[in-house]
Amino acid sequence: MGDWEWPLILFTVLGQIAIGIILMLWWLARNRNLNIQLFKRGVHVSGGLLLIALLASLFHLGHPEAAYRALAHLGSSWLSREILFFLLTFLAWIYLFRLSRQQTSSHTLGSGASIITTAETAAGGQPTSNLSLGLGITSLLGLLGIASSAMIYVLPRVPAWNNGGPVLFFLLTTGLLGALCTLVLGGNLLQTAQKKLLLQVSLGCTIFSLILSVIYGSMLSASMEGAASLNYHLSSPLFWVRALVSWLAPLLLLVIILKSPDLGKKNLILTVTLLVGLGEILGRALFYLSATGIQITALF
Amino acid sequence: MSKQLGFLHNSEKCVGCRGCEIACKNEYQIEATPQWRKVFQLHEDDFSLPTRMFFSMACNHCAHPECLRVCPVKAYTKREDGIVIHDPNRCIGCRLCTMACPYDRPQINPAKKKVEKCNLCYQRIDQGEKPACVTACIPGALELVEINDSLDQKTGILKTLPGLPSPKITSPSIRFIGPKQGKQIRRD
Repeated sequence: MGDWEWPLILFTVLGQIAIGIILMLWWLARNRNLNIQLFKRGVHVSGGLLLIALLASLFHLGHPEAAYRALAHLGSSWLSREILFFLLTFLAWIYLFRLSRQQTSSHTLGSGASIITTAETAAGGQPTSNLSLGLGITSLLGLLGIASSAMIYVLPRVPAWNNGGPVLFFLLTTGLLGALCTLVLGGNLLQTAQKKLLLQVSLGCTIFSLILSVIYGSMLSASMEGAASLNYHLSSPLFWVRALVSWLAPLLLLVIILKSPDLGKKNLILTVTLLVGLGEILGRALFYLSATGIQITALF
Repeated sequence: MSKQLGFLHNSEKCVGCRGCEIACKNEYQIEATPQWRKVFQLHEDDFSLPTRMFFSMACNHCAHPECLRVCPVKAYTKREDGIVIHDPNRCIGCRLCTMACPYDRPQINPAKKKVEKCNLCYQRIDQGEKPACVTACIPGALELVEINDSLDQKTGILKTLPGLPSPKITSPSIRFIGPKQGKQIRRD
């Protein structure tokens, strides 16, 4: 069985939240109605999370000072590719940060009491296409980084990982926490339709994650090592806490929020986000803890 | 790659003395924790009659080494003679190779925070000598051989033993002569 890999848990979960936020901003920007304050807030928070994630990843290494060498084997090592894509994502984020720092004009959308400056006028009158392109490129690079992260674990030695599971689970975390964190960051800056869309994405990801976990679990029993991973999950109290806080409670709360006329109170959305965040951290910890590799079973 | 060097282990001759383990540690002054070579005892239940048999295993210098594939810093190289060499100067201690190897042979040295493994005494081989473990094996259970079809076609040569991972994963360059079980008479 594996260990508590805190640096990797933080790197993967925080990195996925950061890229999830950018992805959601890109999605919202497609109709040219992304609120510039939300854009700024999202870019700043995702950048902070990305930076913490990258720094956390260094603590996994025996020699962090030589981490730059990890780019040396792009030909076959997914770890090299992961580092490359995350660095490129960070470079693309710097471009977004520059856009967010530029002054905005007073173009407004007069909905409600607050003045909402749209992304159309972001970056000192630059066209929306720049902003949308920046968000799109950052999202794409980030998603490639997340897929590469997941592919690191697709090892023939570890049957529980040697399938599409890690890629799907990592992408689902990105979508789920990206949508929920954007909802928290957006607050009143989001239009009702946007709120509804993000809530629907969150609910969809939760349902898909639950179904996928059941299918994935049933497939694990095919091999002795996979069955050991499954048993570890089912016998660990962490798994049941994870099931409660990142599947059952969010399913219930998200349906309640979606059914309420004003799409729920801010505190309720924050509660769901915190529960899911805790659940995803526990889930990632279990991912590493339950890893059972094919090994020599002779006596020592 | 012109050839593939590897080990031939004869479980019938091995007495489990662990002389090979100690010779390896002595040759490279390896610290206590990483064990480049290790002697294992086969499960008695894996055979039709109760038996006490051993095998000795270090890095298998696989034909398709997973350690080499996953390493992000190119610390692993495969020589023309098939030996897989790990360069500790390039290693950054990411431990991915230790997760990928089904034989658990690349191991982290906690003091150096880097991975280490058997390099098949390539410097001795280059000088026409045998590896330290092979030289130290008193019963002659461990041999350095060239892994090829003619070896595999010999009677009694096995690609794996009970309790070992499938050789399909990495095509390890080790062959075995399995234990022979004689007639046993037991008093109840």
